[in-house]
Order: sequence, then C-alpha cells, then structure tokens
Amino acid sequence: MNSSSGGLPGHPALPEEFRLLCMLHNIGATTMEKSMSIEEIVRWTELNTEMLRNHLQKLGELGYVKSVETSGIEKYHVTPVGITKVMTLYS
Amino acid sequence: MKIGMLTWEYPPRIVGGIARHCHGLANALAVLGNEVHIFTLDFPGSPAYEETPDGVKIHRIASELGHPNFLTWVLLFNHFIEKRIADVSQKIEFDVLHVHDWLTAPASIAFKHSVGKPMVLTIHSTEHGRSGIHNPDSSTIDGLEWWAAYEASKVIATSDSMKSEVCDHFRLPWEKVGIIPNAIDSGKYHGSVDRGAVRARYGVQSHEKLVLSVGRLVPQKGIEYLIQAVPNVAWRHPETKFAIVGEGWYRDHLQYLAGTTGQAWRINFTGFIPDHELIALTMSADVLVMSSIYEPFGIVALEGMAAGVPVVASQVGGLAEIIEHDKTGILVHPRNPDSISWGINNVLSNRDHARWLAENAKEKIQKTYSWEAIAKKTVKLYKEVVR
Repeated sequence: MNSSSGGLPGHPALPEEFRLLCMLHNIGATTMEKSMSIEEIVRWTELNTEMLRNHLQKLGELGYVKSVETSGIEKYHVTPVGITKVMTLYS
Repeated sequence: MKIGMLTWEYPPRIVGGIARHCHGLANALAVLGNEVHIFTLDFPGSPAYEETPDGVKIHRIASELGHPNFLTWVLLFNHFIEKRIADVSQKIEFDVLHVHDWLTAPASIAFKHSVGKPMVLTIHSTEHGRSGIHNPDSSTIDGLEWWAAYEASKVIATSDSMKSEVCDHFRLPWEKVGIIPNAIDSGKYHGSVDRGAVRARYGVQSHEKLVLSVGRLVPQKGIEYLIQAVPNVAWRHPETKFAIVGEGWYRDHLQYLAGTTGQAWRINFTGFIPDHELIALTMSADVLVMSSIYEPFGIVALEGMAAGVPVVASQVGGLAEIIEHDKTGILVHPRNPDSISWGINNVLSNRDHARWLAENAKEKIQKTYSWEAIAKKTVKLYKEVVR
C-alpha cells in the first residue's frame, strides 16, 4: 500500500479530481449521513470553490461521488464505487 | 485457538489480494475449529458485526474522525480499531493476533503490548518494493512496516523472494520469517460457463482469441509492457482481443498508451468486475497474462491456473516460484514487450501445448495451494509463538 497516489518518480501525476476524491474519503464523507456541503469541503481541503465544483461534477459523472439535497443545501459523499476507487489510488 | 485478525480490507471491501487472502484464510481456520475474529474497516451497506456460516466473526469499524492526509487518516482509524479490540477482548481472551500489512499494524502493536499476547505479521508486499522510498509519507510507511516486523513474534512471507526481500530490507533474522504461500478456492472454477456468451459481453466473437489481464492498474503490474506487446501479437494473430480488468490511479495513462499503439479498439479496459463475472471471464480466456515488474506472490496466476487457462507471466518474485517455465505456464522477461508478445504468441499458436500446460498447472494448484493446507501451516506457526 503506497501513500503517494500517483506522482511517483517517472510516472504521471494523479489528476486533481482524484486527489479530491481521496480527501473526501479520508475526511469521512463516505455515506449519505456524512455528506458534506461545498463550504465544509472547502474548509477541509482548502481548495478553490469553483475548482471544487468542477471536480465534484466530474466525480459525480464518473459515479464516484453522489450529491443529496438536505434543507436546500447540496451535500456530497463518496459512493461505494468511489471508495473502491480510492483504495486502488492508494495501492 | 482464539485468533484476532486485523486487515484494512475484507469483503466486500476488496481492492487487491489481501481481502481475498484474509477471507480464505479466516474461513479455513474457522473450519479447522478455531475462533476467528476479523477487525476491519466499515463499508457502506455492510453490518458492523456479523458471523459467517463458517463461524468467522467480523467486526467492521467506522472511523469517527478523519483528515485529508492519508497517513493521518490511517493513524486515526487505527485508534478506533484499538477501541473495538479492547471491547471485544473483555469477553474473549485471544491467543494470537495476526495482522496483514502495515495499515492496521499500529492497533495490533498497541494491543499486543496491552494484553501481552504474541503478534504475527503477514507482509504481502513492501513500500520499498511497490514504489521505492520516494517521499516523506513513503518513508513513514517503510518505518511502520519495519516497526511491525520488529514487534511481531513471527513474520510470514508468501514466497521465497518475499522472504529474501523482507529479511534484507528490514534486517530480520532469517529464522524469524516463515513462508506460507497464498491459496485459492479452486472449487470456484469447477463449474461450466457459456464461453461464447461471456466473451460476447466483452466484444469478443467466437472466432476471436481473448487475452486477459487482471490486476490493479498501477505501475508495478507492468501493464504498460503488455499494451506495448499488443501490436506484435495482433500482427501474428489479427483475430485477438485484449481485456484488461481492474482499476487504479494509472488507468488514464494506460488508456492513453493504448491509444498510441493504433490498436486501442482491441483493448477493453473493463474496470472492476464482480467476482462471479471475473471467474466466468477467466474461464473463457485463451491466455492470462501477468506482466508484473514486482509481484511478491501473484494470486491471479493461481486463479488462471485453477481455471485451466494457460498463464504467461513475468519471471519475477512469486510468479517465478509458482510457474515452472514451459511446464505449468510460460515465463517471460519483465519490462520486455517483445518477450511478452513471444509468450502470448507461443500459447496462441500451439493449442495442444497450451492445453498441456494448463492441465499441468491445474494439477499443481490442487496439490499445493488449497486453503486447508495453508490454514494448517498457519496454525502450526501460531503454535510456535503461543507459549
């Protein structure tokens, strides 16, 4: 099990959206109940909001992240397929 | 014996071989009459506790704290595993703790010291072997692996080459490391499959050949060299298609590389597929290729051999020990597309010889790599450390 998730010497860097996927997983947004809003994710990841939205959209299209609306606020969590993807990213 | 087994992946949380290894070993240990408790991470949809029909007790632990950094996250979830083990051990007096790789080692080490029970460590691979020690996090992982090996009463390696690697790298006494190979449930491959229907699902017609690769899409699996071998195989066998099963951070690069060969239309990146489908696909392939550049064991080779599929594999690590060249499979040079294409073409061109290789391989699997045999060896090793 490797820590670097890509970016090994001589190998291509891991795309930014997958780094975000790993961070979402590691901060615990892995079930609907633990979904997080954009604001919360920004606080954890210190990513730019616009970039974050783009990455989340792409991850959603790939099936790795799902959004749910709670009290009018869009919240995001990693899907089971996304969890498996994260584990391979750490391998 | 009462055994506490720690692993970060256990079905349905599956990525690589560790989940399957722990599942097979735990079931076989339970069948032999041992009480086996698995301590692992939670997975959506799976219960926090369950007992399997074989009697394995599975404790799935949620980490209530997180952090974006991988290592910090690992150390945090270890605290929650420690807490659960402490709760369970109020009622169960474990004889031995068995930890798999470094990810759950901190919890295991803490527990070893708090209850004074021996700890056994299986090292499935090392950070040094997977990627080299190239940044601060990988240095820490390397340190955790050393620490776990130091704390363990006995270390298990799955092959001779892995034993040499861990003894050399962690400077362990030779006698501290035992070799117990991986195993598979070969019964899963005894059924029949509708090869035509299975192959059709992957775009392979009845007159075409199917070359299969299964593994995580990471550099150590050497799949880039298989992709570079595709044009040579296609030139000799134009009716060949390739299925590359698995996921990983290297996938985008591999797909890009496939595009540069001009043969991308032959290469199907399937992503993960469920176990039952993988068994059917393996049984439907004409050749299974493992082009790894680092492979401490190589359980996928066993699966191909059990399925009766000729295996072409790099002459590295455990693969070179499992496969006897030109008797139970074909060994090729690692990092060498010409050698890999030679191996594949050899199998595709000589069907009778390929069948003979597959039959020899199947016989070897049934004799050597059963979970019952591996569980008995493991119990023997446990008894050496329990005094």
